[in-house]
Amino acid sequence: MIHITINGKVVQAKDGEMLLTVIRREQIDIPTLCHHEAVEPSGACRLCMVEITKPSWDGWCDYVTSCLYPAEDGLIVNTHAPKVNELRSSILDMFLARHPKSPEIRQLAAEYGVMKTQFEEVVDGDNCILCGICTRICDTMGFKAISMVGRGHGKEVAPPLNMAPAACVGCLSCAKNCPTNYIEYNMKNGGLTIWKKDFEMIACTECGATTITKEFAEYLSVNRDIPFDYFEKCDACHRKELAGTMGRIANWDREARS
Amino acid sequence: MNKRFIVKPELCTGCRSCELACSFTHAIDGVRSLTRINPIDGGFKDLWVPVTCLQCDDAACIKSCLVNALKRNPVTGAVELNHEVCVNCMACVAACPFGCAILDTQTNLIVKCDLCGGDPACAHFCPTKALVWELIKKAVKKTG
Repeated sequence: MIHITINGKVVQAKDGEMLLTVIRREQIDIPTLCHHEAVEPSGACRLCMVEITKPSWDGWCDYVTSCLYPAEDGLIVNTHAPKVNELRSSILDMFLARHPKSPEIRQLAAEYGVMKTQFEEVVDGDNCILCGICTRICDTMGFKAISMVGRGHGKEVAPPLNMAPAACVGCLSCAKNCPTNYIEYNMKNGGLTIWKKDFEMIACTECGATTITKEFAEYLSVNRDIPFDYFEKCDACHRKELAGTMGRIANWDREARS
Repeated sequence: MNKRFIVKPELCTGCRSCELACSFTHAIDGVRSLTRINPIDGGFKDLWVPVTCLQCDDAACIKSCLVNALKRNPVTGAVELNHEVCVNCMACVAACPFGCAILDTQTNLIVKCDLCGGDPACAHFCPTKALVWELIKKAVKKTG
């Protein structure tokens, strides 16, 4: 256990734990766009910048991305120093210039007082901030269906060769965790289309409700040793089935007693 | 922990006090959460079954989770879902053979019973003691 000071408060942390984890545990709000606990941090959005210093640094301080900076003993962290807020608003200013139409970016920028960007707005831009949360989640889940393609201005998130990815099972984790809701998918008539690939959803045998795609269920039953018939009913019908079974047992018991 | 959660359907009246207790106990920022326990009609007269997570030994939800968001709490024995890690892939919702991992459409979070970390609120609020959180009595060897 080591001790660090966050905004004047001494807190305990594990050695090597990232600063952002410690800060979030202390219920201090730091904006992030590219952070997700399920995946390795990447420091792409730069919004989790904090000011760090140590008594031995003679008054010097450093500005680091807290998601990638391991906690050290005796570190003094300031999460909302004037310079940090200034840094965050200039980062958001650039985000706003690149993605002027994104409602999520506009809201976050407005929270830091940036209502209009001082740079030239990109006219035909998209809402992808290239944070890589989708690709990292896809890698962590073991599918590796999408990745960063190209570099510089041409960098984008795409499946290999821009074709329907064979490895994708349609779990929608990329789309649901995208900080700007950029990844599009279409779910209708018991089917799903994402990354130009079409999937069939498993319909509940009793009520027809859909939960996951057939490909995802097959992946789980093969790789995770779950019987495939578990996926044939929706959660509500499974609960009804359990209530029916338990009800029959309780009724036998009741009849035996009376 | 030498305590266990017991459901007695024959005592349940379907009053749904447990649902309210669950919803309010798991509220986030004052917004009620979806209940993790549901009294469902058992199919016979005056018979309700409070359906909640059975905390299976070989749990399909833990096996289905690809990001290890579901873990068993070694103290209570309950399977707990870490919302920070969960990526909302719905694998556990589909995999649970009893349908006890549920998607809360209001908050877009997947919810499941965590036994309230070792003191289930539903058991406190059940007026007929159909839900009980009680000490496991040690088996005593009969002598003589």
